[in-house]
Amino acid sequence: MLLEVRDLDKSFGGVAAVAGASFGVAEGSITALIGPNGAGKTTVFNLVSGFIRPDRGTVRFAGRDIAGARGDAVARAGLVRAFQAPRVLTRMSVLDNMMLGAKDQPGERLGMSWIAPRRVARREREIHARALEMLELIRLSKLAGDYAGTLSGGQRKLLELGRALMSQPRMILLDEPMAGIAPVLGEQLLQHIQDLRARQMTVCVIEHDMDVVMSIADRVIVMDEGRVIAEGTPDEVQRDERVIEAYLGRLGAGDAASASSVAP
Amino acid sequence: MDFLNPAFWTFVAVTAGIYAIMALGLYVQFSLAGLPNFGHVAFMAVGAYTMAILVVRYHVPLPLAALAAIAAAIAAGLLLAGPALRLRADYLAIATVAGGEIVRYLAMNLPELTGGPIGSMALAGQGNIAMYNQDFMALLNRLTAASSESAGISVSRDFVLALLVWLLAGVLIIVFWRLERSPWGRVLKAIREDEVAAAAVGKNVLMFKLQALVFGAALGAISGMLLAWQIGIFSPDDFQPTLTFYAYLILILGGLNRIWAIPVGAVLFSVLFSGTRLLNFYPLSLIDSGNRAFLRLFLVGFLLVLFMALRPQGILGNRKELLLEK
Repeated sequence: MLLEVRDLDKSFGGVAAVAGASFGVAEGSITALIGPNGAGKTTVFNLVSGFIRPDRGTVRFAGRDIAGARGDAVARAGLVRAFQAPRVLTRMSVLDNMMLGAKDQPGERLGMSWIAPRRVARREREIHARALEMLELIRLSKLAGDYAGTLSGGQRKLLELGRALMSQPRMILLDEPMAGIAPVLGEQLLQHIQDLRARQMTVCVIEHDMDVVMSIADRVIVMDEGRVIAEGTPDEVQRDERVIEAYLGRLGAGDAASASSVAP
Repeated sequence: MDFLNPAFWTFVAVTAGIYAIMALGLYVQFSLAGLPNFGHVAFMAVGAYTMAILVVRYHVPLPLAALAAIAAAIAAGLLLAGPALRLRADYLAIATVAGGEIVRYLAMNLPELTGGPIGSMALAGQGNIAMYNQDFMALLNRLTAASSESAGISVSRDFVLALLVWLLAGVLIIVFWRLERSPWGRVLKAIREDEVAAAAVGKNVLMFKLQALVFGAALGAISGMLLAWQIGIFSPDDFQPTLTFYAYLILILGGLNRIWAIPVGAVLFSVLFSGTRLLNFYPLSLIDSGNRAFLRLFLVGFLLVLFMALRPQGILGNRKELLLEK
């Protein structure tokens, strides 16, 4: 397992958002994290990626314990994330957004541009070339010089994905990549995600669209009320009773009565 | 005074150059790192006071005192880092206004250390008038003599000071222009736009903000000392919060987030602010000088409002960029 989460806990003022979640993500897989609203999926992403500190539990990534590490340290360890509402740097160019995503640019250390100008310039050329390549791939080349703030929501999601990939991470966390995005761009995004698997990258994705989940995911993790209630292949999960219950509710005596009264 | 008096305009040029360095310090913090520091004047005060106290009380040579003043301002910057790196932008703005005022009130109320409300004059104790800028003036006199000799015409001391200040401002702006265009500057701008996004791609946001604070503090100290040397005697009132707002005005007038807007904004602001002192020609001369002083401040405000209404992006700014949401 590339990512192993054990007994993760996080509560916000007495409300347990994540309560003992445990799961693993296998290297080179596309793993979908699903569950009804409020199940704690995004909180798990925030905990794993270091943007919120867990109350308890361990997170191991590539053998290292990263629980409680800061977001930037987690990203440098090779685990990067994209946000549900894409975070692009609006008053910087699309190209600069991409170039920011690269790692190992010595020029980001203060004064290195003077101490080792050649090394910085060489790395900058590599990053520039790679950024152009990546923009070509996500079909934003024509907009390279525009402010990222002029992009549409879907284009921003693509840009954020591209920026995250600039650092050549081992694993990427995608929070609802398909939400609020035009169908054409959605198709393109799906294709990119599948391409990532072909390039041995590990993807963990929160997604609500079950058709998407069933078509791209190798494994599915189902969360409800802060816990992982099922884990398996898409087919297994689809037949799991606890999953059906979590999504549709338990049909107890009272529910059955109210359900029948609502039914025509 | 005559509207075309070169001595007056030389004075305006010196002020503009000092303001440019002051605004550059704010630029590094606000326009690069996105830290809305509304207490920038505190760094200037710390710099000026440290320099003056060391020179007057401890007879420290001027260059050393200047270095110590920069170090003291940097220490103040690191002190500000505590809240600066924890508070969100709007709360930080409030905290820094308070921080700037705390420094001024401390200077006002610690007469043993700072000379109190009388200011630098009282640094040598009662009965003695303290001077801290003899060495600076001596240097300036030597430079003036040398340049008068080499130029073949007599140049004024203020003219040499203006050259010196603008030379320093130019060098500093070029240094930070280069830094801004380096990968280091790219990370800082990303932090200004969205620090969560910058952290998400592995940038150590805290470290970069700390560096911006330190640079801003050092530049603030330099401009504070220059101001002290220019005016010869200073008191806590010379470090009113308005000075910080002048720095913001310069950044905004010149064009937000454009480093070359700093000299442009500094000159424009100084001409607007000081140049209007000379509105003593007919028919304005019909009004008595006391009322003219009020009229002048009204005019400065009116011109600023007019300018912002007609050109909100400033002289070098980009209107399209201004309209983009953060």
